[in-house]
Amino acid sequence: MADDSPGTLHETAPSTASAPSASRVRPTSLAETAAALEAAAQEQQSLLFAGAGTALQWGAPVSRTDLVVETTGLDRLVSHAPEDWTVSVEAGMPLAQLQQLLAPAGQWLPLDAPTEHAGATLGGLLAGGDAGPRRLKYGGLSDLVIGATLVMADGSVVRTGGDVIKNVAGYDLAKLMAGSLGAFGLVAQLNLRVHPLPESTATLALETADATQALVAARAVMRSPLEPVAVEWDGKQLLVRFHGTEDSTASRGQLGTELPELAGAGVLDAEGEHTAWVRTAALIAGEEGETVLRAGTHPAQLPALHAQLHALTEGTGVEATLVSGVAQGLHTAVLRGGDPEEHAACLTAWRETVQESGGSVTLRRRLKGVDAVADSWGPAPPTTPVLRALKRQFDPDERCAPGRFAPWF
Amino acid sequence: MIDTALRHEFEAALGTDAVLTDPLQLRTYECDGLTGFREVPALVLLPRTTEEVAASVALCAKAELPFVARGAGTGLSGGAVPVAQGVVISLARMRQVLEFDAEDRRMVLQPGVTNAEISKLAAPHGLYYAPDPSSQVVCTIGGNVAENSGGAHCVKYGFTVHHVTALTVVLPDGSTVTLGGDAPETAGPDLRGLFIGSEGTLGIATEVTVRLLRTPQSVRTLVADFPTVEAAGDAVSGIMASGIVPAAVEMLDALAIEASEAAVHAGYSLDATAALVVELDGMEDECDEQFEKVVALCREKGTTKVRIARDAEERARIWKGRKAAFAAVGRISPDYFVQDGVVPRTRLSEALSRIAEMSRAEGLRVANVFHAGDGNLHPLVLFDEQAGEAERAEQLSSEIAEMCVELGGSLSGEHGIGLDKACSMPMMFGEVDLAFMQRLRRAFDPSGLANPGKVLPTPRLCGESPGRYRPHPLEAAGVIERW
Repeated sequence: MADDSPGTLHETAPSTASAPSASRVRPTSLAETAAALEAAAQEQQSLLFAGAGTALQWGAPVSRTDLVVETTGLDRLVSHAPEDWTVSVEAGMPLAQLQQLLAPAGQWLPLDAPTEHAGATLGGLLAGGDAGPRRLKYGGLSDLVIGATLVMADGSVVRTGGDVIKNVAGYDLAKLMAGSLGAFGLVAQLNLRVHPLPESTATLALETADATQALVAARAVMRSPLEPVAVEWDGKQLLVRFHGTEDSTASRGQLGTELPELAGAGVLDAEGEHTAWVRTAALIAGEEGETVLRAGTHPAQLPALHAQLHALTEGTGVEATLVSGVAQGLHTAVLRGGDPEEHAACLTAWRETVQESGGSVTLRRRLKGVDAVADSWGPAPPTTPVLRALKRQFDPDERCAPGRFAPWF
Repeated sequence: MIDTALRHEFEAALGTDAVLTDPLQLRTYECDGLTGFREVPALVLLPRTTEEVAASVALCAKAELPFVARGAGTGLSGGAVPVAQGVVISLARMRQVLEFDAEDRRMVLQPGVTNAEISKLAAPHGLYYAPDPSSQVVCTIGGNVAENSGGAHCVKYGFTVHHVTALTVVLPDGSTVTLGGDAPETAGPDLRGLFIGSEGTLGIATEVTVRLLRTPQSVRTLVADFPTVEAAGDAVSGIMASGIVPAAVEMLDALAIEASEAAVHAGYSLDATAALVVELDGMEDECDEQFEKVVALCREKGTTKVRIARDAEERARIWKGRKAAFAAVGRISPDYFVQDGVVPRTRLSEALSRIAEMSRAEGLRVANVFHAGDGNLHPLVLFDEQAGEAERAEQLSSEIAEMCVELGGSLSGEHGIGLDKACSMPMMFGEVDLAFMQRLRRAFDPSGLANPGKVLPTPRLCGESPGRYRPHPLEAAGVIERW
């Protein structure tokens, strides 16, 4: 039902281009991982943690890598307790593989990160803070993590959280890993809360190129009792997705078309639905040669951000697409065509607007050459002293992905 | 020590009416909801704004004075117990709603706003705030952030951390930062998520942005009586395995029912051994369809009576009975301890039988009223202090929490570790785990002034030796290994 996977997985990890001369290690157990990191600590080696390699370009380029620690050998299921709604897996397991393991029990991890299709692993997804359109209903991966086993820069094995779906004992160190891009430690194992697979899914599509109309329509759906699981606009089409029982998704779709703000919308057939969401995921994931920015803002800023992005690219060789989780204020700006200077100018100006309004931007991909003319993060946020203090406590020698958050820390 | 000069500095920053030094007034702050721990603070501050909190904390930092933030003081783990010779920063005067954006469903609040007030303000717009701890009428959003509070509807809607998108925080050095943002993703590590549930040890939240949900179109609630706790447990398993995500599944045993009925007369059956409260919410058609399934499942598992709430008023009465159960225990016992532990839901029956055995062995009654959907137990240990039973009761209560960890669960599902369970943390976490938690704390609070002595065990509090190493239950089960 809710599977938008194109059906194939990349079996091998894309090469970690940033580290051509680095040695590589691929531990297959927690013990081996800890031993590898301990040995690396003695040698003062700088480390790059790599799962499927789908997010190795996110953030700033690492400045030095002596050792690439591949987590793909940590891909076992540790335990699955269907009746407790929990599963424990090694963090190198691809999300797609976990979904296949859970499906026979009528369960899934409600995460639809666009990099899933490229084989993204659970540890990598947590470190990237990545989530897909259905985050609206189910939250991101860190919202579903109930416990974790981490291996720190010095080889220490640290457990946080637990195995039960409700637990507030101790600090939740998994949150430090969420969005950390590998700069604070390695995620070796995750305990996750799973959900029952929804019986059925339905998607409404409204053709509109008008950002304000998309926002107004999204607000109307959110105000209605329809409880959408995703509301996503790609500059041409607004997609609204529902999960539920067979009867309920059908009636939600129908009721959605009756909202005045969605006049002209239609319910997609199964194939149309699949195609639409695969296309959206592909847009967000981006391609080689594109510059991709991920931003979080107040939802009301969509029209202004959309207009600015197009104003910035007008008359240049760059073509821009903005994909927005309209109800959440999450935006992915994709730049293609043009030269690195044009990408850099657009990136810098658009990011400034987002940051001035209190939002933040992560650079996920860049056209080759952009790094020479634009920095990856922009001005340091007021939280920088805290981030630096955390880095000093968890990775005092700055060996985990050095430079990943430069110039912040 | 707080000398006159320092007191004048606090008064200059906050105004004389916001600095309490009168011993009688200070006594009011000596404990929180866990009344067994008491300590009179040297000074209580009552700031009104983020700037005043920042000024208060900066002065504490300068004078190296430990400080404890306090909301309504309803916490049940001693998290707001003052530190000897320290300062209490009460957020009670920070009760303003700073922003309400009904269109994009969010509110920005000062920390002293009560949990229930948020939903009350949002209601005219068809919105509400999901986390609903039993103390919601008095507990504050700032306290909820500190404890990562849950409530009865966590199994479907999650905890405070799932509903707070941004925080303005005064750090222990007196600086002010924003953690999180308007959207659920921000660049870099999730500092917002780290802070929520840190029990006042990483700083003080002075503005809280919450996301609001649309009020569900339909809510259906039932109470099902069962002849045994096991049968009720089976019904819970059946519901959770059916593909339905219930909004709430709560259980009360006979003793809890007796207490609740004595206090609020919510109409629970006094002859039932166990009662389940099951609530579903969502789109009307789907809710109705699933509700019928739940009723059928309860019948299949041997329910002796199903009472279905006819309207909102009856539903409110059912919840009043459930939520009043803690305090109501005072009707049937002079004193009681509230425990908070979690077991994997499939081990509920086992946990309850063991509690019954422990209760018999100790000769003390234990009432159970808890969140069955997520395995979060709240055993209430009844005792009579006059009869000298307090120490035994405390011992029994601690043993129950430790038994939860042994069964693969947790020391706390929602009340926090605080002062009460800091020394039990080595039951659940190894030395290395705790050492890295300590590093996190140091990153935020290098001087150790923010709520010291809470959450993590200290030699002073727990004795020089934190106890012999005991394997994590998973380790004992061969699931994980240790080096």
